Amino acid sequence: MKDLEPTDHQMSEVKENTYWKSLSELAQNKEYQKFTEREFPENATELTDGVSRRGFLRVMGASIALAGLAACRRPVQKILPYSNQPEDVVAGNPLFYATAMPFQGNLIGLVAENHEGRPTKLEGNTLHPASHGRTNIFNQAAILELYDPDRSRSPLKNGTQVSIEDFAEFAASHFSNTNQRVAFISEANSSPTYQNLKNQVLNKFNNASWVTYEPFGEDNAIEGNRIAFGRRLRTLYNFDNADVIVSLNDDFMGSHHPNGIDYARQVALRRKLNDTNDTMNRIYAVEDSFTPTGSFADHRLRLKASELEGFTYALASALSGRISGLSTFSGYSNEFSDHQWISTLADELIANAGRSALTVGFEHNPKLHAVVSAINVALGNVGSTVSYLEVPHIDNQDTHQALQNVVSQMKAGTIDTVVMVGTNPVFTAAADLDFENALSNVDTVVNLSSYVDETSKKAHWHVNKAHFLEAWGDGYSFAGARSVIQPQIQPLHKGLSEIEFLSTILTGNLGNGYELVQQTFNGYYSSGFEKRWRKILHDGIDTTDNFNAVSVSLASSFNSAMNAAKENLPNTSGIEVVLRPDPTLYDGRYANLGWLQELPDPMTKITWDNVAVMSPTTAESLGVSNEDVVEINSNGKSIKIAAWLQPGHVDNSITLTVGYGREGIGRVANSYIDYTAGGVDTYPLRATSSTLFTDAQVSKTGEQYEIACVQDHHSLEGRDMYRQTTLEKYKENPEFATFKSVHGYGVPGMEEGHKLFGEAPISLFDEQEFPDKISYPEYEPQWGMAIDLNSCFGCGVCVIACQAENNIPVIGKKEVKRGREMHWIRNDRYFVGDDVNEPQAVHQPIPCMHCELAPCEQVCPVAATTHSDDGINQMTYNRCIGTRYCANNCPYKVRRFNFFNYPKEYLTTGDDPDIIQMAMNPEVTVRFRGVMEKCTYCVQRINRAKIETKIKTGSPKPEDKTVQTACQQACPTEAITFGDLTDKDSVVMQAKSNNRNYQMLEELNTRPRTSYLAKVTNPNPALA
Amino acid sequence: MSKYEYVPEPALVKGNHDFASLTRLVTDVNLRPTPKGWYVAMIGANALLLVLLVAIGYLFWEGTGIWGLNNPVGWGWAIINFVWWVGIGHAGTLISAILFLFRQDWRTAINRFAEAMTIFAVMCAMIFPGIHVGRIWVIYWVFPIPNQMDIWPNFNSPLLWDVFAVSTYFTVSFLFWYVGLVPDLATIRDRATDKIRKVVYGIFSLGWTGSNRHWWNYEKSYMILAGLATPLVLSVHTIVSFDFAVSVIPGWHTTIFPPYFVAGAIFSGFAMVLTLMIVARKIYGMKDIMTDDHMEKMNIIILVTGSMVGFAYMMEFFVAWYSGVEYEKAIFLLRATGPYAWAYWTMMICNVLSPQFFWSKRLRRHVGFTFFISIVVNIGMWFERFVITVTSLATDYLPSSWDYYSPTIWDVLTYVGTFGLFFTMFLLFLRFLPMVAVAEIKAVLPQADPHNYDENYDYQEPVEEVPESQARLY
Amino acid sequence: MSTNNQNDLHGILAEFKNPKQLLDVAKMMSKSGYTKFDTYSPFPIHGIDKAMKLKKSKLGWIVLTCGFLGFAGAVSMMYYMLVIDYPINISGKPFFNAPAWVPVTFELTVLLSAFGAVFGMFALNGLPKLHNPLFNVTRFKKATDDGFFACIEANDSMFETSKVKKLFEDAGASHIEEVYE
Repeated sequence: MKDLEPTDHQMSEVKENTYWKSLSELAQNKEYQKFTEREFPENATELTDGVSRRGFLRVMGASIALAGLAACRRPVQKILPYSNQPEDVVAGNPLFYATAMPFQGNLIGLVAENHEGRPTKLEGNTLHPASHGRTNIFNQAAILELYDPDRSRSPLKNGTQVSIEDFAEFAASHFSNTNQRVAFISEANSSPTYQNLKNQVLNKFNNASWVTYEPFGEDNAIEGNRIAFGRRLRTLYNFDNADVIVSLNDDFMGSHHPNGIDYARQVALRRKLNDTNDTMNRIYAVEDSFTPTGSFADHRLRLKASELEGFTYALASALSGRISGLSTFSGYSNEFSDHQWISTLADELIANAGRSALTVGFEHNPKLHAVVSAINVALGNVGSTVSYLEVPHIDNQDTHQALQNVVSQMKAGTIDTVVMVGTNPVFTAAADLDFENALSNVDTVVNLSSYVDETSKKAHWHVNKAHFLEAWGDGYSFAGARSVIQPQIQPLHKGLSEIEFLSTILTGNLGNGYELVQQTFNGYYSSGFEKRWRKILHDGIDTTDNFNAVSVSLASSFNSAMNAAKENLPNTSGIEVVLRPDPTLYDGRYANLGWLQELPDPMTKITWDNVAVMSPTTAESLGVSNEDVVEINSNGKSIKIAAWLQPGHVDNSITLTVGYGREGIGRVANSYIDYTAGGVDTYPLRATSSTLFTDAQVSKTGEQYEIACVQDHHSLEGRDMYRQTTLEKYKENPEFATFKSVHGYGVPGMEEGHKLFGEAPISLFDEQEFPDKISYPEYEPQWGMAIDLNSCFGCGVCVIACQAENNIPVIGKKEVKRGREMHWIRNDRYFVGDDVNEPQAVHQPIPCMHCELAPCEQVCPVAATTHSDDGINQMTYNRCIGTRYCANNCPYKVRRFNFFNYPKEYLTTGDDPDIIQMAMNPEVTVRFRGVMEKCTYCVQRINRAKIETKIKTGSPKPEDKTVQTACQQACPTEAITFGDLTDKDSVVMQAKSNNRNYQMLEELNTRPRTSYLAKVTNPNPALA
Repeated sequence: MSKYEYVPEPALVKGNHDFASLTRLVTDVNLRPTPKGWYVAMIGANALLLVLLVAIGYLFWEGTGIWGLNNPVGWGWAIINFVWWVGIGHAGTLISAILFLFRQDWRTAINRFAEAMTIFAVMCAMIFPGIHVGRIWVIYWVFPIPNQMDIWPNFNSPLLWDVFAVSTYFTVSFLFWYVGLVPDLATIRDRATDKIRKVVYGIFSLGWTGSNRHWWNYEKSYMILAGLATPLVLSVHTIVSFDFAVSVIPGWHTTIFPPYFVAGAIFSGFAMVLTLMIVARKIYGMKDIMTDDHMEKMNIIILVTGSMVGFAYMMEFFVAWYSGVEYEKAIFLLRATGPYAWAYWTMMICNVLSPQFFWSKRLRRHVGFTFFISIVVNIGMWFERFVITVTSLATDYLPSSWDYYSPTIWDVLTYVGTFGLFFTMFLLFLRFLPMVAVAEIKAVLPQADPHNYDENYDYQEPVEEVPESQARLY
Repeated sequence: MSTNNQNDLHGILAEFKNPKQLLDVAKMMSKSGYTKFDTYSPFPIHGIDKAMKLKKSKLGWIVLTCGFLGFAGAVSMMYYMLVIDYPINISGKPFFNAPAWVPVTFELTVLLSAFGAVFGMFALNGLPKLHNPLFNVTRFKKATDDGFFACIEANDSMFETSKVKKLFEDAGASHIEEVYE
């Protein structure tokens, strides 16, 4: 746009200079100032047509904007390409490098797709045990975080920009005094290099204290193990061996679990059914609010979070009589003792002793973890389904306690310097700690963080943290696999990684991450280091199982602790409020990522907001319905938030998620009612005494607040899109999923057709059918997809992976509210069952079906959507005139329309226009206003594979598994299979030959290339 | 005496008019100076026309998103208005073609008028397919013209059939209208006193002399055009209905659509003609030509077509139930009971209930009441299109994608604006063209029939010929 | 028409009272063997075609030809575009998808027929013809209002001023006038 040209010109001429100069030059630039005042050009007017261009652009800007002129900022050090890619860049050919993403200090091995020196997509590393080549939503969104223009761009001294060298100077002088009383508050970090530096720091400063603080970390679990075994150990499950899994309010498959990908995979693979002889594990879930894990379970019990302790003790006591090791519970009984579930679970666990696993959510208190560990031990699950790991980098202290101590010292003014690494306690710490206030008593506060967040604003020195794709690092996975984090690009804003930051504090000179990491690994491999190093970088993994599993036995103190616990069970009178990390924003650290904000919550399908989730019964008693604002009072704090009815939620309980309602973080995270993340900051309700649940008074305010939910209707209306049965019934009738079994009669027109045309149903036309018609030549592969509903638990990573791969724009709350979401693959969630309080929730991913007789194609007046020779229903964007007739005529409603100029808005406006464009996947067309778009089966990947195969083997058909769609590659449970239908042995053909295979809306004779494998549950007859 | 009594056809032209007086009655409107009232009306119409232009301009600038459309509901007011206007545009050609073939001489009083309305209604209709697309600037791709992409339109698409159907309909209706106008333009030419009129009307009347050698070809041509226009007028709404019927969406995918759309079109068309006629004949004092008998006849047609439409609604329900297709059953229940029930029942009351009043002869001949119903009917027909277009999309196969559609201010303004275009055109027509087919109506006067003269060439009132069967009763 | 030169005499025009009279004079004219004559009236008069011995109009054939052109044109256009020039697999339909082509074929047939009917008629009538000697006669303006005229043209082989006038007088013309170019 016109207004931009000067800016563009300005930026292009400063390209040679370092980024800093260019920014300052930009800052002087008149045009640029206009931008910062009014982040969009005049001609994008703000009319009251609903979508506020202003808000809209803010979202756009940050959702895809890259900061920094990263055009050719390849790392200086030598990093090695993954697999056998040519190391020198061939224009247009992406390179793949192994790296790893730290999340709550645990690494997940990734592979970065790197185009001409800039990473554009992250996939799992197949060699890495924490990912197995799969990813979760946070891994996918990390690429967006790298390019987020709102990331802090420079160190700040009391809020004013200074250079990183200035910080080094400050560090040199300030930390020369080794007697000062300095407190380090750090987020969890498994990096051995980091641990070395930490130890050096603690040695250097005589009065130093160190707290590792994660608002939703695994500390309760570790503390629980201390109670049980007297040692702070990590609980690691191996669900491969688990026939029975009991999840006590533990969403262990969810994206925010540090080992979620691996766990989800283990559980799901035990539920793959190729034929009726296969067996399945059985999952019981006891939870207050619906979680993906709960919806995946065979049996689900609604229970208030506060009641879980009592329930578990009752279970322990039921078991105590029948297995040794739980003597302390013998004879104990409470209100749950004669609950049907207790006896059933007891029987199941005993029957499957050694092949069962109990898990409990991290948010629950240590005592609960202790008893669960004790039960697992008593059941002899240790070594088969559960192991207890000695994790060197976990501090030997109750970190919640430690934090409280530090805070009280700070309040007492006995701390001179606080150094906070990556963590944001001002926002996340329990309200009654009043951390913010405590900080004000400290002379020097230093903070390292990616954003200028709540904590940074209170800090005297803020240092901008380098993204993990920008800096060298290392660390361990949850299970103990050691990897090196390879940077993919030079730091866009000269940020420091944690290790560089620590070593700067330690030495006074800017640390060099590469050297630091190499030193560490030199320590491991004094001989043959180079060779080893190359291999580590290449594979993205060094050694696994670095944490040794220890044999455990109950500590003497266990019984007394339990006796105390049994006596005073927590109970909440009336309505309890439960605080949980958000499924898409976690603790708020991802609040500025448009992809995650717009990713529907797996269970409520709400975007851009957090809500007060409650059961219909509770809502009735409060006299509220969806979008009614309620006021919640607890611990003297009160918040106002919109109510949302969730079938299957436990009564007299309200679930809130944290991370929303932030101010001054970035254009996406900030609450602007008019267009994006509304949301409410719920941390104020968090108290040290009750981090998970707390009593609350809830009242209706009479106000209303708009919520953008992508699914308005939650019942299947008795329709057959989703087909399922139980394992028993499946064995009786393996063909249960066919149209005939579902409806009792065959697909209309089939019989007549068979008489007349053989295979095809009766038809007016002589159709171009695969395989025997000219439109599908012999030499072409024929693509098809199968989605196993038995594996999908609704995490939604497919949606984000697709968004990242296919340049799908983020459109903002207002547009989502108007029902214009752009996701090419969506994850439908239905509630099944007659009882609104005890429904089953099922998930169904829906990409384009690529029908062979596609209804969308014939109605396009300009032939903009047609069929390719390899059977893909393809859109010709530059031919499309946007009649939307195809979308109307799509029975699956998978087509998406560019109602506004969504992409152009952010590709030509915002603060860094020419950079924004680099976030795009260069292999995918960016769609223009007024054109239709939809799933392409990742045709760009297909064609790349075709070309490569052609070059290598000369065959036009890529080998099986060489083409993976983005959604398929990301899916942790391998629910999606994709491949060539002409290859009878391909995985997809095997899947489609499964007797659970069915086509959605088969009776319409659209011949979908995407088909579904019906779900099979494995309920316990005793609970039926 | 039997209770049967022979009712003679009422005279087509009331008052004792001769040829000259008719000429004056009709063409004086075009010759006398422009009345003030006309200017007032024109300003109002132009204001609305401006609204249309602004609405379209903003749409062009911002994108389709300014309308209330969403993911399941890809078509909203634009398509509704298109179908509605096209429907209205059916009356004219129907009157001039079908009634001509059926020798319904009473058509002569209103055919010119109705044809004009048709043409303007179709103009309004044609706006919408043009602007409702995402990329308005390439709309011409729907025509089979060679282009840089070397690709042709998709002739399998009902939308493309529409393009041909509507543009053909417009062209043919226009030619038909013009052919009818030529002799009357000649009349004005010959009565005109000022130079400009002489020249302009002279040019457009093509030098018509009233030669009977010409009349001979002329009548032939008129007859053939009528013969062509008849299937055409039926085909247009049939093809418009294909937009829906050819799709796979429950509530759209229905074989009953063609006849029921055509009936609805005639229904709404006649209503619109009545609305305009009742006003115009009062203002221009044409009561002698556009008599209450005409009004009654048209009301009967409204009653008939209205009942046909009502029958179609019933059949839809029956077929949905009889077919046993769950999605069909669901959509029709949802229409009557679902989120759009309000629209459905508005439609039922306006289209099915309101015309039934015309069973009463008194109401049929009651001007005020007819005027009221004629408007109610068109409201009802708009809602019919709303119900068909929106409800089916909003709640189709996958419950997960169900979503509610509501229009924005821009949807409304665009619709209101089209009335600006319509009335602007119509006012120009009333001012500059004869609103009654003078030559034709002269031809249906008894004086026009040579048989009504005795051997001394003196005019004799024709005696009412009572049919044999009836005669016996006297 | 002050300078009455015999050569630019166009013909003789007579006015009659009513359709009946015009009908009869038409009979007389054709009986007495005139060919280049015509009658003018504000509206077509029933049965005058027989009286004037008018031949059947050729218009039907013109329309038929145009209609056929429309039909053939439509089918061949679509066949060329969708089958020969750029065949695409659309919804798996056959390239030659006859049922889907019916509407467009029909419309184009009607369209061209209509063109034939309208422009053919004008062509047969020699219109537009903005200059016509009859327009020189002021009285003739009534022909589009309430006047009934007959005219025998000077270039008729049997044309003789006196005879023609006689004929019109006998027919009871209310007014007779010579018309000049």
